[in-house]
Amino acid sequence: MPGFRDLLPLEAEILREAQESLLGEMRRWGYRHVITPLVENMDVLDLGLGVEQRRRLFKFTDGRGDVVALVGERTIPVARLVAGKLRTAALPLRLCYAGPVLSTDEGRFQQRRETYQVGAELVGASGPVADAEVIALAARCMEATGIRRYQIDVGHAEFFHGIMDAVKLPDDVKAAVRAALAARDFVALEALLEDTPLKSAEHELLLRFPALRGGPEILDAAGGLVRNRRSEAALSELAQVCDLLVAHGIREVVNLDLGAIRDFDYYTGVIFEGYGPDFGRPVAQGGRYDALLARFGRPAPATGFMVQLDLVSEMLTRAARPPALPRLDAALAWNGAGLNTALRLGSTLRLFGMRAVVDTQSRGEVEARAWWRAVGATNLVHCLGETKVAWSAKGQRTRRLPPEQVAARLAGGVK
Amino acid sequence: MTSGEKVSIAIPTGVLHGGALSLLARSRLARLNADEIGRQLLVERGGLRVILVRPSDVPAYVDHGAADLGIVGKDILWETPGSHYELIDLRFGGCKLVLAVPDGSSLDGPETWPPMIRVATKYPRTATAWFEAHGQSVEVVQLHGSVELAPQVGLVDGIVDLTATGRTLRDNRLRIAAVLGSSTARLIANQASLKTRTAAVQSVVAKMREASASAG
Repeated sequence: MPGFRDLLPLEAEILREAQESLLGEMRRWGYRHVITPLVENMDVLDLGLGVEQRRRLFKFTDGRGDVVALVGERTIPVARLVAGKLRTAALPLRLCYAGPVLSTDEGRFQQRRETYQVGAELVGASGPVADAEVIALAARCMEATGIRRYQIDVGHAEFFHGIMDAVKLPDDVKAAVRAALAARDFVALEALLEDTPLKSAEHELLLRFPALRGGPEILDAAGGLVRNRRSEAALSELAQVCDLLVAHGIREVVNLDLGAIRDFDYYTGVIFEGYGPDFGRPVAQGGRYDALLARFGRPAPATGFMVQLDLVSEMLTRAARPPALPRLDAALAWNGAGLNTALRLGSTLRLFGMRAVVDTQSRGEVEARAWWRAVGATNLVHCLGETKVAWSAKGQRTRRLPPEQVAARLAGGVK
Repeated sequence: MTSGEKVSIAIPTGVLHGGALSLLARSRLARLNADEIGRQLLVERGGLRVILVRPSDVPAYVDHGAADLGIVGKDILWETPGSHYELIDLRFGGCKLVLAVPDGSSLDGPETWPPMIRVATKYPRTATAWFEAHGQSVEVVQLHGSVELAPQVGLVDGIVDLTATGRTLRDNRLRIAAVLGSSTARLIANQASLKTRTAAVQSVVAKMREASASAG
């Protein structure tokens, strides 16, 4: 089926390890794990999704005639949870999740229609302290997966809203300007703004949108150009977030991007994106969405982000030094009377946290070595009887020892 | 994937090829002759890596980050919207997307269209959107070549196709009934390249902006 695929052991293990690293980091910051269903009622999703996103959902009717859909993102289910079953839980709430999301759109990353997202939401806290926490968490999450060289671009939705308020344009032209920006079409944007007689500093800012990036100095530069309260407030909030990110210890990986183009109907404040090295699209995306919870009947400020797990694992797979995955520690072969010894030795090794596989059939020495190579374990232990095993490790000669001594040496070799 | 500080740009084969090479030369970015890039498909010159691809493949190279920048006709972008930034109108390769009907046809402006107009095109997405925006029901027959033939054999009422000089239309006894849009070459950029390698990419963009403005 196009857009859906199997993950074979290597890929699946990299993805799983990355997911564990992300959830582990989130838990270290006090985020509790929740699991929401893959299917949600359309009435629920309608509260949070735009027209385009709704169109891309896999929808069907269940046996009772309700229209349901496979989730396309997982923030809305978390919002439903916070306003529903968790409504008596005190705010702020820190929650995290991991799971697949689906889309009918084949134009996504490598035509995949099923992808994996891991995310964190901080609900019930407004202001720069909460914004900075979530940005710092996103940065530490990227680090935790083992991605080397990453950066976080931080912007503010209100900076854009302020500019759009301030530009003097007829409503239909404003709508066209928004559409051109959403499509990242600066040729169309330029044409729209050129035809208007009233030129303001905000016009200039719109045209320079993709270049409004840099360090904290651009806040001053932009501050000199905007003449509206909303944008000014956004800039001062960004300055506070920047200061906090210094204390979080992640200032070097943060850039300011005042021209970030995102879903401005959804985001209400500080927004950010995480980029890895040499990868054509953001790996992490997030920001403040203070309007969503109210639609579920529990008005509350909220911010959060999600990491595209597929992109992380793709990035790790292609890295110059791919992640070292835990490999099989011991292949336990046996010959005739050695089966019980092999089974006992396997239990012992696993007790010490090692990975051990026991053969399913009796083998002689040559066949046992061939099987060892095939399973790719670090050690071969060939069990020949109750008290006698032959232990081979790569690059060492075979030693005949009692099984308990082999177990002790193998276990001693791991931390 | 791109790497290091070398900026990569995808340029198209076909009608925009000469204009793209000339722009690279005028921007003082790379002097390449058509034979050289035609043979090698990938040439590195100075800080620039130039990749030669089919016109309709340019957005894919840029969207997936295999190229930081791309030169591509607006007509291609109409059909394949993506996550790239469209930065500059490069002002060459001008052509129009038109509705053309047989010389003897009674069809002309919207008031003469039947309740359901049937058109053949290589631009199904653009054609459908345009007719819908004009409140017109349309049946689009997607063809991959020789679109001009379709109305002559009664397959469709008209065609939606690109024309630069109008010559092919005249040769096939077709006339223009409406203009859907104008296309020129555009410079597009990968979204992440603009963010992660800002200085190197913006410097190339600035040179091309200057060269294309002075030519226009």
